[in-house]
Amino acid sequence: MDKTVRININRESYELELEPNQTLLDLLREQLGMTGTKKGCEIGACGACTVIIDGEPALSCMTLALRCRGKEVITIEGMAENGRLHPLQEMAIEHGAVQCGYCTPGWLLSAKVLLDNNPSPTLDEVRSAISGNICRCTGYQKIEESILAAAGRSLPAPAPEGESSPRV
Amino acid sequence: MKLPKFEYAAPESLGQACRLLESRGEEAHPIAGGTDLLMALKNRQKFPKMLVDLGAVPNLSRIEYSDADGLRIGAMVSLRRLAANPIVREKYPILVQAALSVGTVQLQAMGTVGGNLCQDTCCMYFNRSAMVRQSLEPCHKLGGCICHVVSSSEECWAAYTGDLAPALLALGASVSMAGPGGEQRLPLQELFSGDGKRPIALRPGQLLAEIQVPAAPPRSGAVYLKLRQRETLDYPLLGVAVHLTLERGENGHCKTAALAMTAVDKAPILLQEAGKLAGRKLTEAQIRELARAAYKRAHPMKNLYGLTTKYRLSMVEVYVEMAVRQALESAIH
Ligand SMILES: Cc1cc2nc3c(=O)[nH]c(=O)nc-3n(C[C@H](O)[C@H](O)[C@H](O)COP(=O)(O)OP(=O)(O)OC[C@H]3O[C@@H](n4cnc5c(N)ncnc54)[C@H](O)[C@@H]3O)c2cc1C
Ligand code: FES
Ligand code: FES
Repeated sequence: MDKTVRININRESYELELEPNQTLLDLLREQLGMTGTKKGCEIGACGACTVIIDGEPALSCMTLALRCRGKEVITIEGMAENGRLHPLQEMAIEHGAVQCGYCTPGWLLSAKVLLDNNPSPTLDEVRSAISGNICRCTGYQKIEESILAAAGRSLPAPAPEGESSPRV
Repeated sequence: MKLPKFEYAAPESLGQACRLLESRGEEAHPIAGGTDLLMALKNRQKFPKMLVDLGAVPNLSRIEYSDADGLRIGAMVSLRRLAANPIVREKYPILVQAALSVGTVQLQAMGTVGGNLCQDTCCMYFNRSAMVRQSLEPCHKLGGCICHVVSSSEECWAAYTGDLAPALLALGASVSMAGPGGEQRLPLQELFSGDGKRPIALRPGQLLAEIQVPAAPPRSGAVYLKLRQRETLDYPLLGVAVHLTLERGENGHCKTAALAMTAVDKAPILLQEAGKLAGRKLTEAQIRELARAAYKRAHPMKNLYGLTTKYRLSMVEVYVEMAVRQALESAIH
């Protein structure tokens, strides 16, 4: 089988020689030097390696690079366009939604998929969109705030004590 | 964690894929979304020499519905697409519940319906990384002769923990297999062998092509409830699916009833006792009787991380009663 594979990464076409056992994460970080995509658990459980493939959120650690033939990949390096940060990135900075920064590229891309499909999400929709991105530093509140702000919304006022019911 | 070396093929027809898989026997594995399989490769639990990519096989990604034939789901439909499909949302909300309860958003986008059904069993000994496993004797599933869950057992006790299987079983789904003997259609239940070591009853060269779900009858309700520690990421520690259809009229008699469970045995369980409710009025006593039957049939083992076996078992009745009430509610409205 022809090992030369054409992949569109961050709106640029790459022609690449790939081995079958190379993951997209290996390709991005080691072959292309795009280290913005983070390597966390490497078994699909943390979301640090999240990228967007053909508009869908994907874990690059669980994706064979060869299978990206002909696809469009967006990594954190491609989130800013024409030298301007994406509103999600600007709001992450403004709201202080970053501590160590390890989870940040991953949740930013998950949030981008959300806003691309649903420009004014509710808090619950935001929570569910980033529920595959684990942050070990912050609570998730500032992250949620910054995503809602990028969508032109603000965090709803917290329910008075005793009114929040546990979910099954 | 590098992947071991393997050959890769991307056949362009179902026939080609089956022939290739048949010719390579046990050493070739199909790959759909890869979320289950690549984890097993990284953890050095499986050692395929070749991966056969189903991504280029046409017609496996369709979702079709007609009132006559019901719902047909191609094996390569992603869980996220299944859950977003307007017909599925309208007529089979239980499938939306089950699909959106799998792992995380990213896993739902990558994982397929076929891969979800054909996923391997889970066991906290077997699923450790190769390095951590070094301290233990290889278990049955790794070619050894011990089970670390039931140490005296000659069998592997890994649990089947798929989320879609119980929902589809409760809906009465069947599956089409492609392969050497031609196409074959079977009740979904027959896909599961009940062997923890080799849980899927497919021969080399056989592929799951399509899942069929009967048309949703009027006055029916179906619910999937999943017990897990966190609301995201976790596999089920218990999953209960209930599907009820009510007779016409006000008397609330049950026309059909089905109950299925996951994570409490080596295969998903379709509880025969639920069928007894057909033609009867659903009383509190009958709901409790059904919950008791499910409790007796469930065998949660100390093979999954998280809640204790005792707690998981005690939740069986609670979840069955809750699921029946919710299914009843949605059948009435
Ligand atoms: C962190 C994490 C959490 C997870 N949580 C859950 C969870 O909560 N619930 C859950 O159900 N699963 C969970 N999974 C498992 C998995 O992600 C899903 O089950 C997913 O749907 C598998 O689909 P896939 O297409 O990626 O399967 P693959 O990995 O591609 O395939 C799985 C198996 O099925 C075989 N196979 C695939 N397609 C076919 C076919 N058409 N015919 C015959 N054989 C086939 C493959 O050879 C392989 O053995 C989790 C996985 C991870 C990594
Ligand atoms: S590194 Fe991919 S999910 Fe953790
Ligand atoms: S900021 Fe450190 S893990 Fe999220």
